[in-house]
Order: sequence, then C-alpha cells, then structure tokens
Amino acid sequence: MTTDFFLYCIINTVCVALIAPLFVSLVKKVKAWTQGRQGPSLFQTYFTLAKLLKKEVIYSKDASWVSRAAPWICIAATLSASLFVPLVYVTEPMGGIGNIILFLYLLVLARFFMALGGLDAGSSFGGMGSSREMSISAVIEPTTIIVFAALAFVFRSLNIIDMASIAAATGTPVTPTLILLGISLFIILIVETARIPVDNPETHLELTMIHEGMILEQSGRNLALLELSSAVKQVVLMGLLINLIVPWGIATSLSLIPLAEAIGIFIVKAAFLALIIGLFESSMAKMRFFRLPSLFMMAFFFSTLIIIIEVFA
Amino acid sequence: MIDLAFLAGVILFLAGAVIPLATISQGNRLTRSIYLGCIISGSIVFSLVSLFVLVNNVPVSIHAWQIFPGVKIGFFIDRLAAFFLFLIGSVSACVALYCAGYVEEMEGGNRRNLFFSGISIFILAMSLIVTSENTFSFLLFWELMAAVSFFLVMYEYNRSETRRAGIFYFVMTQLSTLFVMMGIIILFFATGSFAFAHAPVNQVSAPLLTAAFISLFIGFSIKAGIIPFHKWLPYAHPASPSPVSALMSGVMLKVAVYGLVRFLVTVFTPDLWWGVLILVAGTTSAVLGVIYAIKEDDIKGLLAYSSIENLGIIFVGIGLFVIFSASGLSLLATISLLAALFHSLNHAVFKSLLFLSSGSVVHAVHTRDMEKMGGLAKQMPVTSLLFFIGAAAIAALPPLNGFASELLVYTAFFESVSVINPLLKILLFICLALFALTSALSAACFVKAFGSIFLAKPRSPACEKAHEASLSMLAGPAILAAACGILGVFSYQILTGFGFVLPVPDLLVISIVLLLMGGLVYLGLYFTSSRQTRIGETWGCGAPSLPSSTEYTGHGFSEPIVTIFSSIYRTGKTSTKTYFDQKNCMFAEGTAEIRLVKFFEEYLYLPVARGAYRGAKFIARMQNGCLDTYLMYVFVAVVAILIILGVTA
Repeated sequence: MTTDFFLYCIINTVCVALIAPLFVSLVKKVKAWTQGRQGPSLFQTYFTLAKLLKKEVIYSKDASWVSRAAPWICIAATLSASLFVPLVYVTEPMGGIGNIILFLYLLVLARFFMALGGLDAGSSFGGMGSSREMSISAVIEPTTIIVFAALAFVFRSLNIIDMASIAAATGTPVTPTLILLGISLFIILIVETARIPVDNPETHLELTMIHEGMILEQSGRNLALLELSSAVKQVVLMGLLINLIVPWGIATSLSLIPLAEAIGIFIVKAAFLALIIGLFESSMAKMRFFRLPSLFMMAFFFSTLIIIIEVFA
Repeated sequence: MIDLAFLAGVILFLAGAVIPLATISQGNRLTRSIYLGCIISGSIVFSLVSLFVLVNNVPVSIHAWQIFPGVKIGFFIDRLAAFFLFLIGSVSACVALYCAGYVEEMEGGNRRNLFFSGISIFILAMSLIVTSENTFSFLLFWELMAAVSFFLVMYEYNRSETRRAGIFYFVMTQLSTLFVMMGIIILFFATGSFAFAHAPVNQVSAPLLTAAFISLFIGFSIKAGIIPFHKWLPYAHPASPSPVSALMSGVMLKVAVYGLVRFLVTVFTPDLWWGVLILVAGTTSAVLGVIYAIKEDDIKGLLAYSSIENLGIIFVGIGLFVIFSASGLSLLATISLLAALFHSLNHAVFKSLLFLSSGSVVHAVHTRDMEKMGGLAKQMPVTSLLFFIGAAAIAALPPLNGFASELLVYTAFFESVSVINPLLKILLFICLALFALTSALSAACFVKAFGSIFLAKPRSPACEKAHEASLSMLAGPAILAAACGILGVFSYQILTGFGFVLPVPDLLVISIVLLLMGGLVYLGLYFTSSRQTRIGETWGCGAPSLPSSTEYTGHGFSEPIVTIFSSIYRTGKTSTKTYFDQKNCMFAEGTAEIRLVKFFEEYLYLPVARGAYRGAKFIARMQNGCLDTYLMYVFVAVVAILIILGVTA
C-alpha cells in the first residue's frame, strides 16, 4: 500500500465522518425555511449524536444477537463503502477499493442487517419498515445497476476512484449523457437516503415510515451508530454525484492548500445539492407505496436511454 | 497411484452400498456409523484425488471395462472433471456427517439401511458421471443417478404428498434422461463415436450437431430445474429428507451443469445464438425463480425455488461464456466460465448448508411452515448462526462466497462494452438489469426466511419448546459455513493460485477494511459512549406486552413484493357483490374468490400430459391381447422391411 493511498483513506474517512451530519441538518433547515419555520441549528445532528452516545442502550427482551450486531456491521459497511468514493482528494486506487459493484454490495450488506434488526424485536413497525425497505431496494436495483453500468461505460472503468480522476482530469465534460446520468443518480440518491416521495424521514406515523420504522427499537449508542451510518451513506452518494458530474476543485495532489480548497469547494457544492434536495422534498408529497414502482420504472427507462444513446452514438 | 486412489474411493462407496443391504436386519448406532464411515471416507478420497488433479493439472485416465469394441466404460479426470468431483466429494462428506445425527432421529427402523445404501450409490453415480471418459458411460451413470435419486425422494413413501412428488420427479427425470440419450445418439450419428472429443463441423454434421445440442440442452435444463422445466424441484425437495434435498439441490443439479459445460467446451463449436438461448433461459429462471421463492411459506419450498434462481445465475454465466467466446473475447469468456463454475461450487456449499440447517429446524419444530416458527435464534443459537451465514452468502453479501461469484458475473456484464453487435449489447444490458433485480430480490427473500424463522417471538408452542440440534447435525453445516467464508474472503487468492489473474477486487482487502472500520468505531466509542444496557419490552403503542400474533410474519413481509409483481403470479381475484340500494352503497352480500394459478402446471405440464395420455390411449388400441394380431404385426413388419430393402437396393 502506497503512502498516498493510505493518506487518501485517512483523509476520506475523516472527512466523511465529520461532515456527514452537517448535511442532514442542512436539508432539515432548508425544509424548515420553505415551511416558514426557523428550523434546527446546523449542528443539531452533532448534538443529537453526542446525546445518544451518553444514553444507555435498551434492548427488547425478544431481541437476539442480530440487534446487538446490526449497528456495528451497518457502520462498518457504510464507512468501508465511503472509502470507495473520493470526496476531496483523489489518487490511484489499490486492492480493488473503488470497485463500483463492491460499493453497491457494501450498501446492501448494511441494508440487510438493518432490515434484520427491524424484524428482530418482533414489533410490527419494525417488520413493516424492513419489508418495505427490502421491496423498494429490490425494485430500484435494476435502475441502480444500469446507471452504474452506464458510468462504467462512459468512463471506461469499473472503479469509482478512477472515474473521479478521469472526471477531474477532463474538467467539465457536460454531455447529454452526463446530464441524464446526473438526473438518474439524483433519483437513486433520493431513494437510497429514504426521502420524499419515497419515504418521509420526519415522520413517525406507522403508515408512512420505512427507514424510521426499522430503527424504532434502537436506542442510545446503537441508534447513534445507525443515524451516523445513514448520514454517511447520504454524503457518500452526494459525493458520487458531485465528483463525477461536476468534478471541479477536487485535489489531485497532497498538499495543504489544494486540500483545504477542495474541502471548502466540496462543502459548498454539497450544500448546494442539499439545498436542491430540500427544495425537491418540499415541493412534493409522499407517494403512495404501490405507486412507487411506476416512478422507478420511469427512472429505469431514463437510465436505459443513456445506454441506448451510448451504444448507438 | 492416483488411479488406485480413485478406485479405492469407488470401492468404499460400493462397500457403503452393499454392507447396509447385507446387514439389512441389523440396525444400531454402531452399524450405522460404519455405513456412514464408508461414505465419508469415500467422499474424502474423491476430494483428495480431485484436489491433486486440480493442483497438478495433469489429467488422469482409468480404463475399466471394454463391453464390446467401440463401447467401453472408462474414467478420465481432467481439471473440469476434477473440479466437479471436488464439489461432489466435499459437499457429500459434510452431508454424510450431518446424516450421522439426522438418521438417529429419522423414522423407518431398519428401512434406514436402504437409505444409506441409496445415498452411497447416489454419490457414487454422480462422481462417476463427472469422471466418465465417454458419452456412453456418462449416459449409463446418468440413468443410475436418476433412478437412485427417485428412491431417495420416495423414502417417506407412506405420505401421499411424497408419492405425488415422487411420481412427478420420476417423470421429469426420465424425460431428462430421454433427451440426454437422444442428444448422445444424434451426436453418435454426427461423429461416429461415443468419445468426448471435438466434433468437426461440416456441411453434413452441422444440422445434426445443432439438433444434438438442443436435445442435450433440454435434457440438462430439466435436470437443472431451468424454467419452464423446473416444476419437479418445489415438489421433490419438501417431500424428501433434508440430507437428500441437500444432496439433490447442492450436488445433483451441478452434475447437469457439468454435462452442459463438458459438451459445450469439449464437443461442440458453439454458435452465438446458442449462447443467447442459454443466457435468456438462465435469466428467466433467475428472475422467476426468486419471485416464486419469495412467496413461499414452506421453508424447503423456498429453498427449492431459490435453487432454480441460482441455477439460472449459473446458466447466465455459461451463456455469457458462449456469447463471448463466439465473439472472440477470450478474457471475458474465461471470466464468465469461471463465474459459472465458481457459482456452482458456491451454490453447492451454501445451499446444502441451508437445507441441512433448515432440516434441523424442521426437525425441532415439526413443521415446514415458516409462519409457525419465529424466535428460534434464542432456542437454537448455533443453528441460527449457521443458517445466517448461508443466507448471507446466498444474498451475495460481501465478503462471502456468493458475492465472490456474482462479482465475476457482474464484471463480465460490465465489461461487455467490447461486444461489437449493438443489439447484443442491449440484450446484455437488459439481462444485467434483470440479474441485479434477482440479486436484490434474493436478499429480500432471505431476510424474510431468516427473519421469520429465527427472529422475534415464537409463533407456535412447538417453537417455544424447540431445542438445539445434536453435535453432528451442527458439525456438517459448520464445515460448510466455514467454507462459505473461506471461498469468499480468499476468492482472489484461490483464483490466482489456479492461474487465473482477473480484474476483480481482492475480497481479503475488503474484509480487513471492514474489520478495521468496525474496530476503529468500537475503539472510539469504547471510551466516549455509555456502556450501560437495559432489557425492556418492545414498544407496542403503550400496550403492556403484545402477543406474538401481532408481529410481522413472513407472509406479511413479502406482501409488498407479491403485490408489485402480482401480474407474474397471475393470481386470479374475482368478486361478486349485491347491494340493497340503487347507487351501490349499502352492501348486502357477495362472494370473493382468490385463485392461485400454478401457471406452468396448468398451461404447460398438464396439457402435455393429457396429450401424451390421449396418444397412449390411441396406441393402446393396437394391443388387444390376441396372438393372431401380434403375428400379423410381425408379418406386416417383415414384409415392409423386405420391400424397403428391395426398393433401396
């Protein structure tokens, strides 16, 4: 392992873990503004996580080892997946880290455990959440894989880190395909991070919740880990979208000033994306669950279109 | 040396077959351990032999018996055969180890001796198929395997469900043999020999070879349970004892895969459209298999459908192999073939693990209905962990072995950019999307299976009283579970060790990264977070303690997916209503009906069966039992032959 790559791993993980909660609060803030409220502080998610860490963990008496293992595996899988997407600094990938398929399946690993954790306590809310989560993830999967295949097609690489270097090297390749890819990645981001119109992150009503339902029985440190892993997942997917579609400003060399610049630029770009997500969420109502497959079908045809354009272009 | 070891293995299996029959009246723990000892040692000998050939890459050939010139029985172990022999040997050894505990609690008294004998012949037949030197002995042992497996399925013959499944299985397996035999005979006409040798393609042989391929493909598809020839699996697996299910699903289906690969690689020069045919059949099976699996409430039925799905994935790999080699992309062809073979091994490992551990569960709770299980993670902690590893592997979670082989398939698909033909490219992308759907649905399916069997509260009294399985019933699956981990984590090293350096990520690295991340978070939180825990009630909206009937069952879990894919299940819902008033507001009475359509059975199997029955009835009229009529048939036949000979001469 080269020093460069080792430093990449450290920089990326620290960045992801530190700035992930910020964008969770930011989206909430944007939504509050559109509703004419002031909203929570931008650092509210950090405070919440700190508070949760101080509290005791309560396990249901019906819970098994799954509830105890799930939060740890979720956070380990999401943090490992975060290594696959360069946020501020990009270098030569090593040892298969960055492989786009592995990235996808690390997220599946986290989801698998989260869904089992939902079923573990025997609460019907948890079961409902798990069932819906697994159904939605199954239906969105063809779209995701086609988008990823299209990315591999466009960048001629299976490695996200390579793709990011290519994108950084070519600058701003605004082609129709990339715009379409951006839209598809945005839909995937919305679905994967459980946002309106797919899921409502604010609700605790049994009829509407998916992600919140699964973690309803979690508490204390375990809840903090699960919250952090969904925040990390969100920022990683945002990073994927940003650094492949609008890659300006990412650092390609390891010196302090470009790196600091890159962090600043990334935060600005991600804040802009968070603004779009917040506005997008505010402008929509949550969809009825069984209407979702048609939304996904639309996304699927969108992404297949990219492939067809690429094949015949 | 190595051929002697192979023959020693054969003799051990023959001993395992003959001794139980010779001592049919004997039945105690000791004799049963001797029978199993024969089977286990034979399996281990076969695995060692095959490992030797795999590592050294020097083919071994063993001549056994010249029946008459041109027709002989002989064995030949090259790398492909050794790979499948290893698969059969190692999985069978674990299954036999499991049997040691399982048979002690099986019904049937001394009939169990027949069971041992059957298992022994079954494993031997499968091993001899994959090592057959020519198509003749291939066919011979194929038929032996088919016949013995029928007896094993029929073990619990006194249950009507088993008898029905047995007949179904018998018909399908004989159909499979029929097609394989037809293929081999056509091949004989095309090449003039029974040898597994490259068949030259020329003007005369081309159509014959195509016909032979189609026939063999159908024969192997029936055995492998490829849709639409799959219906025997969900009948035969729930009906047979768990070790038999494990062997049939884990190992026997792979023998069909071996057949297809062997003929494609050694004998035929495949056309592009053969690959497309295999790919489309594989994708259909994979998608429909998992969609049917997710609806099952019977645990062994679910596993049976999931076998259909996984065989579909293997066929996708083989299809890609044919497509890429016909397009001249040799690296991609290698990746796809390796994906198919590796997934065969992986499926053998995790599916037999799942069948064995679900066998322990069924044994403990006396039902196969997952709706009546629940909460077994606390009563059967080790079994739950073993089943979990199998479920995680089959759901393709990194870094386990299921993921390692699906990664190869994905890599082949993603790299298929280099295929020239644009239409083919689009087909490949559609198949890729369906393949991803399959993979995600199978994750959902095994969340459902594990969740409804092992998690939450027990939903029946039998579940509350369930006990952990015996030691040997844990040891066999435990070896398989360890194999799931090793084959996954070290997949890159294993492939590199055998000389295949492929552009896939090293899963060892990712396992270390996963451990490191988990460890770092643990360390970080160990000092900063509260370590207090408390046990409380599950939140039930304020109710003090909710009964287990309120929790989500497997059926409820799969309901959204069933609704989304309702058009595929073709469930017929009809209702009639009458109202008291004109505006249809006040409901008076009505009927509602839900009809579950067994699509393939009702629209394909039964019409064909009815047609065959009608044909048979028509021909039966010739058989009137009168000697004069038969004499007349003979006379007419002789005259006809004479005339034909005269005309052609």
